[in-house]
Amino acid sequence: MSIVLTRPEVRHASSVEEAVGWLAELGAGAAPLAGGTWVMRAEQRGEPLTQTYVALGRVPELRAVTGTDPVVVGALTTHTALAGLAGPPALDALRQAAHHSAFPQVRNVATLGGNIGARGFVEADLVPALLALEARLVLAGPDGRATVDLTNYLADRDARPAGEIIVAAELPVATTRRSGYARLTVRGGGEYAIASVAISVDAAADGTVTDARVAVGSVEPLARRCPAAEAALRGAPLSAVTARAAGAAAAAECSPRSGLDAPGWYRTAVLPGLFERAATRAGHDVVTTEA
Amino acid sequence: MSYELSVNGRRESVDVPGMTPLLDVLRDELSLRGAKKGCAEGRCGACTVRLGDRTVASCLLPVAVATDEPISTVEGVAAPDGPLHPVQEALLECGGVQCGACTPGMVMTLCDLLEADPDPDAQSVRQALVGNICRCTGYHKIVEAALSAAAALREAR
Ligand SMILES: Cc1cc2nc3c(=O)[nH]c(=O)nc-3n(C[C@H](O)[C@H](O)[C@H](O)COP(=O)(O)OP(=O)(O)OC[C@H]3O[C@@H](n4cnc5c(N)ncnc54)[C@H](O)[C@@H]3O)c2cc1C
Ligand code: FES
Ligand code: FES
Repeated sequence: MSIVLTRPEVRHASSVEEAVGWLAELGAGAAPLAGGTWVMRAEQRGEPLTQTYVALGRVPELRAVTGTDPVVVGALTTHTALAGLAGPPALDALRQAAHHSAFPQVRNVATLGGNIGARGFVEADLVPALLALEARLVLAGPDGRATVDLTNYLADRDARPAGEIIVAAELPVATTRRSGYARLTVRGGGEYAIASVAISVDAAADGTVTDARVAVGSVEPLARRCPAAEAALRGAPLSAVTARAAGAAAAAECSPRSGLDAPGWYRTAVLPGLFERAATRAGHDVVTTEA
Repeated sequence: MSYELSVNGRRESVDVPGMTPLLDVLRDELSLRGAKKGCAEGRCGACTVRLGDRTVASCLLPVAVATDEPISTVEGVAAPDGPLHPVQEALLECGGVQCGACTPGMVMTLCDLLEADPDPDAQSVRQALVGNICRCTGYHKIVEAALSAAAALREAR
């Protein structure tokens, strides 16, 4: 990490290529700036600011939401905009995660790209929802553009090449797909989640789950998919019973972290209940109900 | 760096580093001391202002990204010599103001809510206030004030 000798400078990029060019040239001394809700708290986390921030806010391409399948959501889309994102039930988990994260004053500025890009942000709500939705990221870097699975991106998030930015997330939205999200906080809304669960299932005409994607956030240091929980959901209609069994399977495959808000055992102990809640919300527009 | 801002309808020019929180610019450069620094980390809402059509925590907003849209603060909700805004009036009337530290943020959040939803129920008021902490009133009187201001505003139309 670089030592800041002067107050950081902010440069406004007007295109993806300009942002990438500056970031590549400045290397470790620079970072992208989206909503700033994570960056502006760096000093409170004991992390130094970098010398230069490249503000992305004036790049129109990063704000765009396009396509029908996949739906392509620009990196600067705010949590508030994501909560109201148009599109089929496959996207419900993302809408619900965005709606229940943080507070209105923060949701109005915090972005999709910032949620994914915030290194060390264990409780990020959008990330598990995006994992369950099988999001792919469109990245731009000095060598051009590439599309990668979010899972792969997260695996080496701490060592991404200089000059790379997230341009958009591609979200597949098969019509047979339903998804739901649930998070647990100590008090009502407006807090970091102790644990969060996103479930996305494909179902046959009779309701039998043919495929499932499940992600758990805030339990391990990084949100993760849970293959054993996914297997537990396949082969029967989604119900409270199958969801709880999947939650138990997820609890067994996670190595929970301990924190001031909750000990590790507690984070996994609440998973069956959270799985049931997420399953209940799958395919329902419950964005307006409490966390 | 020099930045041009539009604050409560006035053009202002400030010379500060780009990562300076908008809240510091408002208070220290422009002498608009309504918005308060409660926590400086986006948790309390005492620094809430409007940027364009949305409420933001000004303690976390770098001034460099606040130049493209008009900013409005609690100082701008009513004319300097005119009557208070109905939301301010109702907060006083219903006992929703005690120490007053949270009040400027409450006013901004409630004005924003009542523009989007002129007839909210108590539950939607509570949801809208999830990012505004009050250590004095216990919130009930603030919720009452919001409902009373909503009724007054509907009547005035
Ligand atoms: C008090 C408080 C509570 C919050 N609670 C929650 C919560 O419960 N759940 C939740 O999900 N969020 C929460 N947030 C919001 C959280 O900060 C944002 O979700 C998000 O992580 C940051 O988005 P941003 O746009 O502000 O990013 P920034 O702060 O601008 O950037 C975050 C990081 O991502 C990088 N970055 C930004 N954009 C890109 C890009 N396009 N490509 C590559 N890298 C990029 C930056 O360089 C930086 O490292 C909370 C915020 C506050 C202040
Ligand atoms: S001072 Fe900004 S939210 Fe507390
Ligand atoms: S009146 Fe004192 S914090 Fe609200």
